Amino acid sequence: MAPRPMSMTVSAAGGQQGGFAALLTTLPGLIVSRVLIIAAFLGFWQFASGRLISKFWVSSPTEIFGLLLSWIADGSLWPHLEATLTAMGVGYVIGCAGGVGIGLLFGFLPMLRRVVMPYVSGLYALPKIALAPLLVILLGVDIGSKVALVAVTTVFLLFYSTLDGIRDVDKDLVQTLRLMGATRSEVIRKVLVPATLPWIFTGMRVAVRYSFTAAVVGELIAANRGVGYLIEANAGLYNSTGVFAGVFVIVVLSVAMTEVLTRAEGQRAPAN
Amino acid sequence: MWRTENRDIERPQVMTAMEMGTSSAASKIDFAGVSKTFFARGNELQALQPVDLKVRKEEFVALVGPSGCGKSTLLNLVAGLIEPTTGTVTYDGEPVAALNFRVGYMTQKDTLLPWRTVNDNIGVSLELKCRSTSRAEAKERIAEMVDLVGLRGFEGHYPTELSGGMRKRVALARTLIYRPETLLMDEPFGALDAQLKLIMQDQLQKITQHQKMTVLFVTHDLSEAIAVADRVVVFSSRPGRIRAIRDVPLERPRDVFRVRFADSFSRLHEDLWNELKDEVIKGTDV
Repeated sequence: MAPRPMSMTVSAAGGQQGGFAALLTTLPGLIVSRVLIIAAFLGFWQFASGRLISKFWVSSPTEIFGLLLSWIADGSLWPHLEATLTAMGVGYVIGCAGGVGIGLLFGFLPMLRRVVMPYVSGLYALPKIALAPLLVILLGVDIGSKVALVAVTTVFLLFYSTLDGIRDVDKDLVQTLRLMGATRSEVIRKVLVPATLPWIFTGMRVAVRYSFTAAVVGELIAANRGVGYLIEANAGLYNSTGVFAGVFVIVVLSVAMTEVLTRAEGQRAPAN
Repeated sequence: MWRTENRDIERPQVMTAMEMGTSSAASKIDFAGVSKTFFARGNELQALQPVDLKVRKEEFVALVGPSGCGKSTLLNLVAGLIEPTTGTVTYDGEPVAALNFRVGYMTQKDTLLPWRTVNDNIGVSLELKCRSTSRAEAKERIAEMVDLVGLRGFEGHYPTELSGGMRKRVALARTLIYRPETLLMDEPFGALDAQLKLIMQDQLQKITQHQKMTVLFVTHDLSEAIAVADRVVVFSSRPGRIRAIRDVPLERPRDVFRVRFADSFSRLHEDLWNELKDEVIKGTDV
Protein backbone atom coordinates (compact mmCIF):
# COMPACT_ATOMS: atom_id res chain seq x y z
CA MET A 1 0.00 0.00 0.00
CA ALA A 2 2.58 2.53 1.12
CA PRO A 3 4.71 2.69 -2.04
CA ARG A 4 1.80 3.72 -4.23
CA PRO A 5 1.57 7.44 -3.31
CA MET A 6 5.35 7.59 -3.32
CA SER A 7 5.60 6.21 -6.82
CA MET A 8 2.99 8.71 -7.95
CA THR A 9 4.92 11.68 -6.61
CA VAL A 10 8.07 10.37 -8.19
CA SER A 11 6.47 10.05 -11.60
CA ALA A 12 4.78 13.42 -11.16
CA ALA A 13 8.18 14.98 -10.53
CA GLY A 14 9.03 14.19 -14.12
CA GLY A 15 11.00 11.52 -15.89
CA GLN A 16 14.22 13.47 -15.99
CA GLN A 17 15.42 11.98 -12.71
CA GLY A 18 15.82 8.53 -14.23
CA GLY A 19 18.07 5.97 -12.53
CA PHE A 20 17.15 4.67 -9.12
CA ALA A 21 14.03 6.79 -8.55
CA ALA A 22 12.58 5.64 -11.86
CA LEU A 23 13.31 2.03 -10.94
CA LEU A 24 11.15 2.38 -7.84
CA THR A 25 8.08 3.39 -9.85
CA THR A 26 7.71 -0.01 -11.49
CA LEU A 27 6.50 -3.08 -9.65
CA PRO A 28 9.44 -5.33 -10.68
CA GLY A 29 11.81 -2.54 -9.71
CA LEU A 30 10.17 -2.31 -6.33
CA ILE A 31 10.43 -6.05 -5.75
CA VAL A 32 14.05 -6.10 -6.86
CA SER A 33 14.98 -3.28 -4.49
CA ARG A 34 13.21 -4.97 -1.59
CA VAL A 35 14.97 -8.26 -2.31
CA LEU A 36 18.27 -6.39 -2.48
CA ILE A 37 17.76 -4.98 1.00
CA ILE A 38 17.04 -8.36 2.58
CA ALA A 39 19.88 -9.97 0.60
CA ALA A 40 22.30 -7.33 1.83
CA PHE A 41 21.13 -7.84 5.40
CA LEU A 42 21.45 -11.63 5.24
CA GLY A 43 24.76 -11.38 3.42
CA PHE A 44 26.22 -9.14 6.09
CA TRP A 45 24.90 -11.41 8.82
CA GLN A 46 26.42 -14.44 7.15
CA PHE A 47 29.73 -12.61 6.72
CA ALA A 48 29.85 -11.24 10.26
CA SER A 49 28.96 -14.46 12.01
CA GLY A 50 32.17 -16.20 13.10
CA ARG A 51 34.29 -13.31 11.83
CA LEU A 52 33.11 -10.14 13.60
CA ILE A 53 31.07 -11.80 16.32
CA SER A 54 30.94 -15.31 17.70
CA LYS A 55 28.48 -17.76 16.12
CA PHE A 56 27.43 -18.64 19.64
CA TRP A 57 25.49 -15.35 19.89
CA VAL A 58 24.09 -14.73 16.46
CA SER A 59 24.23 -18.11 14.69
CA SER A 60 24.12 -17.63 10.91
CA PRO A 61 21.41 -17.46 8.24
CA THR A 62 22.51 -20.70 6.55
CA GLU A 63 22.46 -22.62 9.81
CA ILE A 64 19.08 -21.19 10.79
CA PHE A 65 17.48 -22.08 7.47
CA GLY A 66 19.17 -25.45 7.55
CA LEU A 67 17.65 -26.16 10.94
CA LEU A 68 14.22 -24.94 9.74
CA LEU A 69 14.43 -27.25 6.74
CA SER A 70 15.38 -30.19 8.92
CA TRP A 71 12.44 -29.43 11.26
CA ILE A 72 10.16 -29.45 8.27
CA ALA A 73 11.79 -32.53 6.74
CA ASP A 74 11.56 -34.68 9.89
CA GLY A 75 8.15 -33.24 10.75
CA SER A 76 9.18 -32.12 14.22
CA LEU A 77 7.90 -28.57 13.61
CA TRP A 78 4.26 -29.51 13.02
CA PRO A 79 3.26 -30.59 16.55
CA HIS A 80 4.57 -27.26 17.85
CA LEU A 81 2.80 -25.26 15.18
CA GLU A 82 -0.36 -27.21 15.81
CA ALA A 83 -0.17 -26.64 19.56
CA THR A 84 0.25 -22.87 19.20
CA LEU A 85 -2.48 -22.45 16.61
CA THR A 86 -4.87 -24.70 18.54
CA ALA A 87 -4.31 -22.80 21.78
CA MET A 88 -4.79 -19.55 19.94
CA GLY A 89 -7.86 -20.66 17.95
CA VAL A 90 -9.74 -22.34 20.78
CA GLY A 91 -8.93 -19.58 23.25
CA TYR A 92 -9.94 -16.95 20.71
CA VAL A 93 -13.33 -18.53 20.03
CA ILE A 94 -14.06 -18.98 23.74
CA GLY A 95 -12.89 -15.45 24.52
CA CYS A 96 -14.91 -13.85 21.71
CA ALA A 97 -18.09 -15.73 22.59
CA GLY A 98 -17.69 -14.95 26.28
CA GLY A 99 -16.78 -11.31 25.71
CA VAL A 100 -19.71 -10.65 23.39
CA GLY A 101 -22.09 -12.51 25.69
CA ILE A 102 -21.05 -10.67 28.84
CA GLY A 103 -20.89 -7.38 26.92
CA LEU A 104 -24.47 -7.78 25.71
CA LEU A 105 -25.61 -8.78 29.19
CA PHE A 106 -24.02 -5.69 30.76
CA GLY A 107 -25.33 -3.52 27.94
CA PHE A 108 -28.91 -4.66 28.40
CA LEU A 109 -28.83 -4.64 32.20
CA PRO A 110 -27.57 -1.21 33.29
CA MET A 111 -28.11 -2.10 36.94
CA LEU A 112 -25.75 -5.06 36.68
CA ARG A 113 -23.23 -2.84 34.91
CA ARG A 114 -23.37 -0.21 37.62
CA VAL A 115 -22.78 -2.72 40.41
CA VAL A 116 -20.17 -5.02 38.88
CA MET A 117 -18.25 -2.67 36.56
CA PRO A 118 -15.51 -1.64 39.05
CA TYR A 119 -14.44 -5.27 39.40
CA VAL A 120 -14.36 -5.79 35.67
CA SER A 121 -12.27 -2.64 35.19
CA GLY A 122 -9.91 -3.84 37.89
CA LEU A 123 -9.43 -7.19 36.20
CA TYR A 124 -8.99 -5.46 32.85
CA ALA A 125 -6.20 -3.29 34.23
CA LEU A 126 -4.36 -6.40 35.40
CA PRO A 127 -1.75 -7.52 32.84
CA LYS A 128 -3.19 -10.88 31.85
CA ILE A 129 0.30 -12.37 31.49
CA ALA A 130 0.57 -12.17 35.27
CA LEU A 131 -2.12 -14.85 35.42
CA ALA A 132 -0.08 -17.30 33.34
CA PRO A 133 1.72 -18.99 36.28
CA LEU A 134 -1.58 -19.35 38.12
CA LEU A 135 -3.20 -20.89 35.06
CA VAL A 136 -0.33 -23.35 34.79
CA ILE A 137 -0.90 -24.39 38.42
CA LEU A 138 -4.63 -24.75 37.86
CA LEU A 139 -4.67 -26.32 34.41
CA GLY A 140 -1.27 -27.89 34.07
CA VAL A 141 1.59 -27.32 31.72
CA ASP A 142 -0.40 -28.69 28.78
CA ILE A 143 -2.37 -26.74 26.20
CA GLY A 144 -5.25 -26.00 28.59
CA SER A 145 -3.43 -23.22 30.39
CA LYS A 146 -2.55 -21.56 27.05
CA VAL A 147 -6.16 -21.73 25.88
CA ALA A 148 -7.22 -20.11 29.13
CA LEU A 149 -4.65 -17.34 28.84
CA VAL A 150 -5.74 -16.53 25.29
CA ALA A 151 -9.40 -16.62 26.31
CA VAL A 152 -8.83 -14.31 29.28
CA THR A 153 -6.97 -11.84 27.06
CA THR A 154 -9.61 -11.93 24.32
CA VAL A 155 -12.65 -11.81 26.58
CA PHE A 156 -11.87 -8.32 27.84
CA LEU A 157 -11.26 -6.88 24.38
CA LEU A 158 -14.57 -8.19 23.12
CA PHE A 159 -16.38 -7.27 26.29
CA TYR A 160 -15.36 -3.63 26.02
CA SER A 161 -15.98 -3.28 22.30
CA THR A 162 -19.43 -4.86 22.64
CA LEU A 163 -20.34 -2.67 25.58
CA ASP A 164 -19.06 0.48 23.86
CA GLY A 165 -21.06 -0.51 20.79
CA ILE A 166 -24.28 -0.83 22.75
CA ARG A 167 -23.74 2.43 24.58
CA ASP A 168 -22.99 4.20 21.32
CA VAL A 169 -26.32 3.20 19.75
CA ASP A 170 -28.30 6.23 18.65
CA LYS A 171 -31.05 6.60 21.29
CA ASP A 172 -33.32 8.10 18.64
CA LEU A 173 -33.27 4.85 16.66
CA VAL A 174 -34.38 3.00 19.77
CA GLN A 175 -37.07 5.58 20.41
CA THR A 176 -38.34 5.38 16.84
CA LEU A 177 -38.80 1.63 17.06
CA ARG A 178 -40.39 1.87 20.49
CA LEU A 179 -42.93 4.39 19.17
CA MET A 180 -43.81 1.94 16.40
CA GLY A 181 -44.68 -0.46 19.20
CA ALA A 182 -41.57 -2.63 19.29
CA THR A 183 -41.16 -4.75 22.38
CA ARG A 184 -37.94 -4.76 24.30
CA SER A 185 -36.70 -7.93 22.61
CA GLU A 186 -37.58 -6.50 19.21
CA VAL A 187 -35.58 -3.37 19.95
CA ILE A 188 -32.64 -5.58 20.91
CA ARG A 189 -32.89 -7.69 17.77
CA LYS A 190 -33.62 -4.93 15.29
CA VAL A 191 -31.58 -2.03 16.65
CA LEU A 192 -29.09 -2.86 19.39
CA VAL A 193 -27.56 -6.00 17.92
CA PRO A 194 -27.13 -4.76 14.32
CA ALA A 195 -25.80 -1.42 15.57
CA THR A 196 -23.28 -3.21 17.76
CA LEU A 197 -22.05 -5.67 15.12
CA PRO A 198 -19.43 -3.35 13.55
CA TRP A 199 -17.97 -2.78 17.02
CA ILE A 200 -17.86 -6.52 17.66
CA PHE A 201 -16.10 -7.14 14.34
CA THR A 202 -13.54 -4.47 15.14
CA GLY A 203 -12.92 -6.10 18.50
CA MET A 204 -12.55 -9.49 16.85
CA ARG A 205 -9.96 -8.19 14.40
CA VAL A 206 -7.89 -6.57 17.13
CA ALA A 207 -8.19 -9.69 19.28
CA VAL A 208 -6.56 -11.95 16.66
CA ARG A 209 -3.19 -10.31 17.20
CA TYR A 210 -3.56 -10.26 20.96
CA SER A 211 -4.52 -13.90 21.13
CA PHE A 212 -1.49 -14.91 19.06
CA THR A 213 0.78 -13.00 21.41
CA ALA A 214 -0.94 -14.51 24.44
CA ALA A 215 -0.52 -18.05 23.10
CA VAL A 216 3.19 -17.60 22.39
CA VAL A 217 3.91 -15.83 25.68
CA GLY A 218 2.02 -18.52 27.57
CA GLU A 219 4.24 -21.13 25.93
CA LEU A 220 7.36 -19.15 26.75
CA ILE A 221 6.45 -19.19 30.41
CA ALA A 222 5.66 -22.88 30.81
CA ALA A 223 4.77 -25.45 28.20
CA ASN A 224 5.68 -28.79 26.72
CA ARG A 225 4.75 -27.98 23.14
CA GLY A 226 4.28 -25.00 20.85
CA VAL A 227 6.40 -22.50 18.98
CA GLY A 228 6.93 -20.48 22.13
CA TYR A 229 8.12 -23.63 23.87
CA LEU A 230 10.46 -24.30 20.95
CA ILE A 231 12.12 -20.93 21.46
CA GLU A 232 12.24 -21.27 25.23
CA ALA A 233 13.69 -24.82 25.09
CA ASN A 234 16.43 -23.79 22.65
CA ALA A 235 17.22 -20.71 24.72
CA GLY A 236 17.60 -22.99 27.72
CA LEU A 237 20.22 -24.93 25.78
CA TYR A 238 21.94 -21.70 24.65
CA ASN A 239 21.19 -22.79 21.10
CA SER A 240 20.84 -19.45 19.30
CA THR A 241 20.19 -21.18 15.96
CA GLY A 242 17.09 -22.84 17.39
CA VAL A 243 15.90 -19.55 18.95
CA PHE A 244 16.25 -17.68 15.65
CA ALA A 245 14.49 -20.48 13.77
CA GLY A 246 11.60 -20.35 16.24
CA VAL A 247 11.38 -16.56 15.95
CA PHE A 248 11.35 -16.90 12.18
CA VAL A 249 8.35 -19.25 12.38
CA ILE A 250 6.53 -16.63 14.45
CA VAL A 251 7.40 -13.89 11.97
CA VAL A 252 5.96 -15.96 9.14
CA LEU A 253 2.79 -16.68 11.12
CA SER A 254 2.22 -13.03 12.05
CA VAL A 255 2.82 -11.80 8.51
CA ALA A 256 0.32 -14.38 7.24
CA MET A 257 -2.20 -13.35 9.89
CA THR A 258 -1.80 -9.66 9.17
CA GLU A 259 -2.25 -10.33 5.47
CA VAL A 260 -5.44 -12.32 6.03
CA LEU A 261 -6.83 -9.65 8.35
CA THR A 262 -6.03 -6.83 5.95
CA ARG A 263 -7.86 -8.64 3.17
CA ALA A 264 -10.82 -9.35 5.43
CA GLU A 265 -10.99 -5.68 6.41
CA GLY A 266 -10.87 -4.63 2.78
CA GLN A 267 -13.85 -6.81 1.99
CA ARG A 268 -16.05 -5.49 4.75
CA ALA A 269 -19.64 -4.89 3.68
CA PRO A 270 -20.54 -1.23 3.03
CA ALA A 271 -23.53 -1.51 5.35
CA ASN A 272 -22.34 1.13 7.74
CA MET B 1 -34.14 3.79 28.05
CA TRP B 2 -35.07 0.44 29.57
CA ARG B 3 -36.72 1.48 32.75
CA THR B 4 -40.09 2.46 31.35
CA GLU B 5 -41.65 -0.92 30.83
CA ASN B 6 -43.21 -1.57 27.53
CA ARG B 7 -46.92 -1.19 27.97
CA ASP B 8 -49.44 -3.51 26.56
CA ILE B 9 -49.76 -2.72 22.91
CA GLU B 10 -53.03 -4.54 22.43
CA ARG B 11 -54.81 -2.15 24.71
CA PRO B 12 -54.79 0.94 22.53
CA GLN B 13 -56.58 -0.88 19.75
CA VAL B 14 -59.33 -2.05 22.07
CA MET B 15 -59.55 1.44 23.49
CA THR B 16 -60.03 3.12 20.16
CA ALA B 17 -62.78 0.73 19.24
CA MET B 18 -64.60 1.69 22.42
CA GLU B 19 -63.88 5.35 22.16
CA MET B 20 -65.27 5.55 18.66
CA GLY B 21 -68.86 5.30 19.83
CA THR B 22 -68.65 7.28 23.01
CA SER B 23 -66.48 10.31 22.43
CA SER B 24 -66.02 10.83 18.73
CA ALA B 25 -67.29 14.37 19.19
CA ALA B 26 -64.61 15.06 21.79
CA SER B 27 -61.16 16.19 20.75
CA LYS B 28 -58.51 13.70 19.74
CA ILE B 29 -55.68 15.62 21.35
CA ASP B 30 -56.23 18.14 24.09
CA PHE B 31 -53.51 20.42 25.46
CA ALA B 32 -54.78 22.00 28.68
CA GLY B 33 -52.49 24.61 30.23
CA VAL B 34 -49.48 22.70 28.93
CA SER B 35 -46.10 24.33 29.51
CA LYS B 36 -42.61 22.95 29.37
CA THR B 37 -39.43 24.13 31.04
CA PHE B 38 -36.14 22.40 30.38
CA PHE B 39 -33.32 22.29 32.89
CA ALA B 40 -29.87 22.09 31.43
CA ARG B 41 -26.61 22.69 33.28
CA GLY B 42 -28.31 24.57 36.06
CA ASN B 43 -30.14 26.85 33.62
CA GLU B 44 -33.86 26.96 33.22
CA LEU B 45 -35.14 27.31 29.72
CA GLN B 46 -38.82 27.81 29.22
CA ALA B 47 -39.66 26.33 25.86
CA LEU B 48 -43.39 26.66 26.05
CA GLN B 49 -45.71 29.00 27.92
CA PRO B 50 -49.03 27.48 28.96
CA VAL B 51 -50.80 26.39 25.80
CA ASP B 52 -54.43 25.41 25.33
CA LEU B 53 -55.29 23.67 22.10
CA LYS B 54 -57.82 21.07 21.08
CA VAL B 55 -57.27 19.00 17.99
CA ARG B 56 -60.39 17.32 16.61
CA LYS B 57 -60.45 13.80 15.31
CA GLU B 58 -59.30 13.62 11.68
CA GLU B 59 -58.24 17.23 11.76
CA PHE B 60 -55.09 18.43 10.02
CA VAL B 61 -53.46 21.12 12.16
CA ALA B 62 -50.33 22.97 11.07
CA LEU B 63 -48.09 24.60 13.66
CA VAL B 64 -45.98 27.52 12.41
CA GLY B 65 -43.65 29.80 14.27
CA PRO B 66 -40.04 30.92 14.54
CA SER B 67 -37.30 28.42 15.32
CA GLY B 68 -37.12 27.28 18.90
CA CYS B 69 -40.68 28.27 19.78
CA GLY B 70 -41.57 24.87 21.19
CA LYS B 71 -43.45 23.36 18.26
CA SER B 72 -41.41 20.17 18.38
CA THR B 73 -41.90 20.09 22.13
CA LEU B 74 -45.65 19.83 21.54
CA LEU B 75 -45.14 16.82 19.29
CA ASN B 76 -42.84 15.16 21.81
CA LEU B 77 -45.52 15.66 24.46
CA VAL B 78 -48.16 13.95 22.34
CA ALA B 79 -45.80 11.07 21.61
CA GLY B 80 -45.19 10.69 25.34
CA LEU B 81 -41.46 11.19 24.98
CA ILE B 82 -41.46 13.98 27.56
CA GLU B 83 -43.82 15.12 30.29
CA PRO B 84 -45.30 18.60 30.57
CA THR B 85 -44.04 20.82 33.40
CA THR B 86 -47.58 22.01 33.99
CA GLY B 87 -50.96 21.06 32.57
CA THR B 88 -52.01 17.84 30.89
CA VAL B 89 -51.92 16.42 27.41
CA THR B 90 -54.92 14.24 26.78
CA TYR B 91 -55.14 11.78 23.94
CA ASP B 92 -58.49 10.11 23.23
CA GLY B 93 -59.70 11.28 26.62
CA GLU B 94 -56.75 9.76 28.49
CA PRO B 95 -53.72 11.65 29.81
CA VAL B 96 -50.55 10.72 27.93
CA ALA B 97 -48.46 9.01 30.61
CA ALA B 98 -46.11 6.75 28.65
CA LEU B 99 -45.05 6.24 25.06
CA ASN B 100 -48.05 6.77 22.86
CA PHE B 101 -48.13 3.89 20.40
CA ARG B 102 -51.11 5.26 18.53
CA VAL B 103 -49.11 8.01 16.89
CA GLY B 104 -46.67 7.81 14.04
CA TYR B 105 -43.90 10.31 14.62
CA MET B 106 -41.72 11.62 11.84
CA THR B 107 -39.01 13.54 13.66
CA GLN B 108 -36.92 16.35 12.24
CA LYS B 109 -33.82 14.21 12.42
CA ASP B 110 -34.13 11.23 10.14
CA THR B 111 -33.75 8.11 12.19
CA LEU B 112 -33.30 5.51 9.48
CA LEU B 113 -31.51 2.30 10.40
CA PRO B 114 -28.16 2.63 8.58
CA TRP B 115 -27.72 -1.11 8.10
CA ARG B 116 -31.05 -1.57 6.34
CA THR B 117 -31.88 -0.84 2.72
CA VAL B 118 -34.64 1.56 1.71
CA ASN B 119 -37.11 -1.31 1.40
CA ASP B 120 -36.20 -2.82 4.75
CA ASN B 121 -36.30 0.56 6.47
CA ILE B 122 -39.77 1.28 5.13
CA GLY B 123 -41.02 -2.14 6.15
CA VAL B 124 -39.50 -2.34 9.62
CA SER B 125 -42.75 -1.64 11.47
CA LEU B 126 -44.50 -4.49 9.66
CA GLU B 127 -41.99 -6.95 11.12
CA LEU B 128 -43.08 -6.10 14.65
CA LYS B 129 -45.29 -8.49 16.53
CA CYS B 130 -47.92 -5.87 17.32
CA ARG B 131 -48.42 -5.10 13.63
CA SER B 132 -47.98 -8.62 12.34
CA THR B 133 -48.29 -8.66 8.59
CA SER B 134 -47.80 -11.53 6.19
CA ARG B 135 -44.66 -11.34 4.15
CA ALA B 136 -46.59 -11.06 0.90
CA GLU B 137 -48.71 -8.21 2.18
CA ALA B 138 -45.68 -6.43 3.61
CA LYS B 139 -43.95 -6.68 0.27
CA GLU B 140 -46.95 -5.25 -1.51
CA ARG B 141 -47.34 -2.36 0.91
CA ILE B 142 -43.63 -1.54 0.76
CA ALA B 143 -43.76 -1.40 -3.03
CA GLU B 144 -46.82 0.85 -2.80
CA MET B 145 -44.97 3.21 -0.43
CA VAL B 146 -41.81 3.24 -2.55
CA ASP B 147 -43.94 4.37 -5.48
CA LEU B 148 -45.75 6.92 -3.40
CA VAL B 149 -42.57 8.69 -2.28
CA GLY B 150 -40.98 8.29 -5.70
CA LEU B 151 -38.05 6.12 -4.72
CA ARG B 152 -38.44 3.37 -7.28
CA GLY B 153 -34.99 2.20 -8.35
CA PHE B 154 -33.54 2.96 -4.93
CA GLU B 155 -35.12 0.06 -3.02
CA GLY B 156 -31.78 -1.63 -2.43
CA HIS B 157 -29.82 1.48 -1.45
CA TYR B 158 -28.56 2.14 2.05
CA PRO B 159 -29.40 5.45 3.77
CA THR B 160 -25.80 6.70 3.43
CA GLU B 161 -26.17 6.39 -0.34
CA LEU B 162 -29.19 8.70 -0.44
CA SER B 163 -29.52 12.48 -0.44
CA GLY B 164 -31.06 14.27 2.52
CA GLY B 165 -34.35 14.70 0.70
CA MET B 166 -34.51 11.03 -0.22
CA ARG B 167 -33.88 10.02 3.35
CA LYS B 168 -36.78 12.24 4.41
CA ARG B 169 -39.01 10.48 1.93
CA VAL B 170 -37.96 7.08 3.26
CA ALA B 171 -38.79 8.28 6.76
CA LEU B 172 -42.18 9.48 5.55
CA ALA B 173 -42.93 6.16 3.86
CA ARG B 174 -41.84 4.30 6.96
CA THR B 175 -44.24 6.33 9.09
CA LEU B 176 -47.20 6.10 6.70
CA ILE B 177 -46.88 2.38 6.01
CA TYR B 178 -48.28 1.23 9.33
CA ARG B 179 -51.21 3.63 9.09
CA PRO B 180 -51.07 5.23 12.52
CA GLU B 181 -54.31 6.98 13.46
CA THR B 182 -52.40 10.15 14.28
CA LEU B 183 -49.41 11.57 12.45
CA LEU B 184 -46.91 13.85 14.13
CA MET B 185 -44.67 15.50 11.57
CA ASP B 186 -41.78 17.79 12.33
CA GLU B 187 -40.79 19.74 9.22
CA PRO B 188 -41.06 16.65 7.05
CA PHE B 189 -40.52 18.43 3.75
CA GLY B 190 -37.93 21.01 4.81
CA ALA B 191 -35.10 19.29 2.95
CA LEU B 192 -36.97 18.80 -0.32
CA ASP B 193 -36.75 20.95 -3.42
CA ALA B 194 -39.72 23.15 -4.29
CA GLN B 195 -41.33 20.88 -6.90
CA LEU B 196 -40.96 17.70 -4.91
CA LYS B 197 -42.30 19.50 -1.88
CA LEU B 198 -45.55 20.24 -3.73
CA ILE B 199 -45.88 16.64 -4.86
CA MET B 200 -45.29 15.34 -1.35
CA GLN B 201 -47.77 17.82 0.13
CA ASP B 202 -50.34 16.62 -2.35
CA GLN B 203 -49.71 12.95 -1.54
CA LEU B 204 -49.77 13.60 2.17
CA GLN B 205 -53.09 15.39 2.20
CA LYS B 206 -54.65 12.72 -0.02
CA ILE B 207 -53.44 9.88 2.20
CA THR B 208 -54.42 11.52 5.44
CA GLN B 209 -57.88 12.30 4.05
CA HIS B 210 -58.31 8.82 2.71
CA GLN B 211 -57.16 7.08 5.87
CA LYS B 212 -58.92 9.57 8.16
CA MET B 213 -55.77 10.45 10.07
CA THR B 214 -55.38 13.19 12.62
CA VAL B 215 -52.29 15.24 11.82
CA LEU B 216 -50.10 17.65 13.75
CA PHE B 217 -47.76 19.19 11.22
CA VAL B 218 -44.87 21.48 12.16
CA THR B 219 -43.48 23.68 9.42
CA HIS B 220 -41.68 26.96 8.79
CA ASP B 221 -43.43 27.41 5.49
CA LEU B 222 -46.67 29.41 5.72
CA SER B 223 -47.95 28.48 2.27
CA GLU B 224 -47.26 24.83 2.95
CA ALA B 225 -49.24 25.13 6.18
CA ILE B 226 -52.22 26.73 4.43
CA ALA B 227 -52.11 24.33 1.49
CA VAL B 228 -52.35 21.16 3.56
CA ALA B 229 -54.04 22.07 6.86
CA ASP B 230 -57.57 22.59 8.12
CA ARG B 231 -56.31 24.92 10.81
CA VAL B 232 -53.09 26.89 11.18
CA VAL B 233 -51.71 27.75 14.61
CA VAL B 234 -49.14 30.55 14.81
CA PHE B 235 -46.72 30.45 17.72
CA SER B 236 -44.82 33.33 19.25
CA SER B 237 -41.06 33.22 19.62
CA ARG B 238 -39.58 31.49 22.67
CA PRO B 239 -41.02 30.84 25.14
CA GLY B 240 -43.72 29.79 22.72
CA ARG B 241 -47.40 30.53 23.17
CA ILE B 242 -50.25 30.52 20.70
CA ARG B 243 -50.45 33.87 18.97
CA ALA B 244 -53.18 33.17 16.44
CA ILE B 245 -55.36 30.33 15.20
CA ARG B 246 -57.04 30.47 11.79
CA ASP B 247 -59.30 28.04 9.99
CA VAL B 248 -58.30 27.44 6.40
CA PRO B 249 -61.33 28.28 4.27
CA LEU B 250 -60.42 25.93 1.44
CA GLU B 251 -62.62 23.02 0.38
CA ARG B 252 -61.43 19.42 0.34
CA PRO B 253 -60.40 17.63 -1.75
CA ARG B 254 -57.84 20.25 -2.61
CA ASP B 255 -55.44 20.71 -5.43
CA VAL B 256 -52.32 21.90 -3.63
CA PHE B 257 -50.85 23.06 -6.92
CA ARG B 258 -53.73 25.42 -7.76
CA VAL B 259 -54.95 26.32 -4.33
CA ARG B 260 -52.22 28.95 -4.02
CA PHE B 261 -53.88 31.11 -6.60
CA ALA B 262 -57.20 31.36 -4.74
CA ASP B 263 -58.06 34.72 -3.21
CA SER B 264 -58.85 33.18 0.13
CA PHE B 265 -55.39 31.61 0.13
CA SER B 266 -53.56 34.89 -0.34
CA ARG B 267 -55.79 36.71 2.15
CA LEU B 268 -55.08 34.09 4.80
CA HIS B 269 -51.40 34.08 3.91
CA GLU B 270 -51.19 37.83 4.43
CA ASP B 271 -53.17 37.67 7.63
CA LEU B 272 -50.93 34.92 9.05
CA TRP B 273 -47.78 36.60 7.84
CA ASN B 274 -48.73 39.73 9.75
CA GLU B 275 -49.02 37.62 12.89
CA LEU B 276 -45.82 35.79 12.22
CA LYS B 277 -43.42 38.45 11.01
CA ASP B 278 -42.99 40.28 14.33
CA GLU B 279 -42.24 36.96 15.99
CA VAL B 280 -39.75 35.98 13.35
CA ILE B 281 -37.96 39.31 13.76
CA LYS B 282 -37.98 38.90 17.53
CA GLY B 283 -36.79 35.34 17.14
CA THR B 284 -33.80 36.29 15.04
CA ASP B 285 -32.67 38.91 17.54
CA VAL B 286 -31.99 36.26 20.16
